[in-house]
Amino acid sequence: MLDRLLKVTLTEWKLFVTDPAAVLLLVVAGLLYAFYYPTPYIYQTVSKVPVGIVDLDHSGKSRELVQMAAAAQQIEVKAVYNDMLEAENAMARDDIYGFMVIPEDMEKSIRKNEQVSLNIFTHGAYVMLHGAIGTAFSTCAMTLGATSKVRQIALEKKVPSSKAMAMRDPIPISIQTMFNSTGSYSNYIVPSVLILILQQSLVIGIGVLGGARAHRRFRRKYRDSAVENESLTYRYFGRSLAYFLHYCCFILFYHCVIYNLFDFPRRGELLPMMVFAIVFLFAVINFGMVISQVFLRRETSMQLFLYLSIPILFLANFSWPTYLMPDAMRALSYILPSTFAIPAWISIEQMGADLYDVAPKLYILAIQAVLYLGLGLTLTSIRDKAPFKTGDM
Amino acid sequence: MLKGLLKTIAKIYFGHNIVLWMILVVLPVGVSVFMLDMFSSQIVQHVPIGIVLQDDSHLTEVLETKLRSSPVLDVQLVCHDMSECEHAVIRGDLQTFIVFPYDLERRALRLETPVIPIYSSGQNYLTNMFATKEIRAVITAVGEDMFTAQMQNPVKTEIHSVGNVEGNYQGFLALGLVAAMFHLAAILVAVYLASRPLRDHRVKEFLAYAEGSRLTLWVATFVPMIVILWLCFMGCYAYTHRVLAPMTFEEFGIVSVAQLFMVIACAGAGITFVGVTGIMRIATGVAGVVGGPAFAFAGQTYPLMAMPFAVRCFAFLLPLTHVLKVQSTMLLGDVGMPYCWPSIELLIGMSVFWNLFGGLLMSMRWKQHVRIESIIAPSKLEGTAKEASC
Repeated sequence: MLDRLLKVTLTEWKLFVTDPAAVLLLVVAGLLYAFYYPTPYIYQTVSKVPVGIVDLDHSGKSRELVQMAAAAQQIEVKAVYNDMLEAENAMARDDIYGFMVIPEDMEKSIRKNEQVSLNIFTHGAYVMLHGAIGTAFSTCAMTLGATSKVRQIALEKKVPSSKAMAMRDPIPISIQTMFNSTGSYSNYIVPSVLILILQQSLVIGIGVLGGARAHRRFRRKYRDSAVENESLTYRYFGRSLAYFLHYCCFILFYHCVIYNLFDFPRRGELLPMMVFAIVFLFAVINFGMVISQVFLRRETSMQLFLYLSIPILFLANFSWPTYLMPDAMRALSYILPSTFAIPAWISIEQMGADLYDVAPKLYILAIQAVLYLGLGLTLTSIRDKAPFKTGDM
Repeated sequence: MLKGLLKTIAKIYFGHNIVLWMILVVLPVGVSVFMLDMFSSQIVQHVPIGIVLQDDSHLTEVLETKLRSSPVLDVQLVCHDMSECEHAVIRGDLQTFIVFPYDLERRALRLETPVIPIYSSGQNYLTNMFATKEIRAVITAVGEDMFTAQMQNPVKTEIHSVGNVEGNYQGFLALGLVAAMFHLAAILVAVYLASRPLRDHRVKEFLAYAEGSRLTLWVATFVPMIVILWLCFMGCYAYTHRVLAPMTFEEFGIVSVAQLFMVIACAGAGITFVGVTGIMRIATGVAGVVGGPAFAFAGQTYPLMAMPFAVRCFAFLLPLTHVLKVQSTMLLGDVGMPYCWPSIELLIGMSVFWNLFGGLLMSMRWKQHVRIESIIAPSKLEGTAKEASC
């Protein structure tokens, strides 16, 4: 029994390593993308974003503010302008990505205990720079305001400056990042993408080989092969085993090589990782087996699934919270293994979760695996009986 | 010649080809609208957070009430200890949690400045950023009310996002995603159209419809695709842009020109991939490798200046980078208009180069396949040619 199963496994594996299109998807894509995707984020964080300051006050306080901004790590003050139009033009040329406007009479107003409003403008198209520039300029402005406020409190309440400082901010906060202490963009983006790469390359790869099986030329070539004439159960599970073993190697490769090479946190323990690999890969393989029965051409799965990679990634709570998405989209996301696999992988590998922590997600993946297995077996048996019409003999 | 052109267009585009219409119209438009609806809440709200109440005082009650009343935050869990909240973060149930330490109020009243630690997961850039920013604002406001309620802050800041006043996420991301979708679509559809006659051994048949002219066949194959994709792109862009500041007709015109040349350049690149590889599945794979992750390289989510030099060079070669530059410059209004032209010139240059190169390669491929088809099935092809002439 095991011999028959392994024979199918070996034949399927031989088939996809000798087919250039399958090699491209099932071998090259998994390797290439793992190096290709993290490369833009190799410096991990954005620092020294070019910015400008429009100084309409030209006072000691405004110069103090410019110096503070120049010392901030996130931004680099490229120029100090005399009017807004100059700064807007610089932003349009991409010389700067944001600027702060110091209003006229700022120093005078502060000395008169009047509130001054500082406007910070950022480029509306870049979400990441908006945050970095806004935070850096606000911190500088708040520091300047704090100095004035402490002086004001000390004078009004007649307390020493140390007490005045405590009165200004009696309950300070300290923000600790638990699992991405450097605030690295690659730590946040790449692990999710790696799981998506595994899912997409596997589904498209199975689709390419499934499409070939619907082709008359494939049938003509392999109609006498013992493996293609094996019973449905052996054929189905033998092929699945080939993909499973092949993709287990990829998970190991990502864990041992890619995570080390790009310095991602690697907190995953062996047991949860093994359980994750089994449940995730069976869910994806069975999903791929179902999809592959729908396509009659080898390229069709590739053409259709390439479009869906970005929405699939976003449906997995990757960047935009899923609870803010419309209900229909959330319902749709339940058919995709990645919706549960990406958060589960992040919990295990990035945060060191144990099995108990990720059990709810793994249960859903297991349910998907069983449902797709039933559907895959049914569709494969239907196709076995269907006449072949696609492709020339 | 015009009759031949129309007959070839009809044969290519209306010959019972579901896959073509799926990848040409249904998927790019459908996925673009889908992505736009995904961000329909526009701003991040109700970020799940937890609190660890070690102190039982009036101050912590006030802080908890203020946190609960914030629209950005949603206090989902009051933990008994830190470990409970930590596991909730690991499970993904919480994004952040706050610890109100023992004797918080007493120490604050004695001006000992007790620190309130905030633990954020760090694995979700956007929600973590919004949550910590809001928590900071809430706690600072409560702290200021303790001793200096009657004093206003001397300096106040207001952050404005130019062209996207409300900091709308649809504006931040969806515009770029729509462009990325059509960037991929143009390459994929061009690959499909260029390689389909080669795959199905129908070059001779299509040439017969085009009255033997390779130029007619080229125009009939690619021009309708470019026009359809461009119109769909413009429609999706206008639909996406409605949530941002309105554009003038001139601004929309400039963006449309850039979008047209992006579609032409991508189509040329797709044709070149087929010209080089000659096989649909390999060319589609190459298109996927280049077009699939293009959005990550184009500089909208992560700035180009923070990428390594080699990646910046690759990004420069992608038409998407330049069309995104035009789209984002247009958000700045009139002031951005003069700075769009260098990007449009680059897109025109790319369009000309890829189409000439691709056209040359495809012409050679067609010639080669006509020879092959004459050898493998002359009788079958004669029948098809007769059918075409009828």
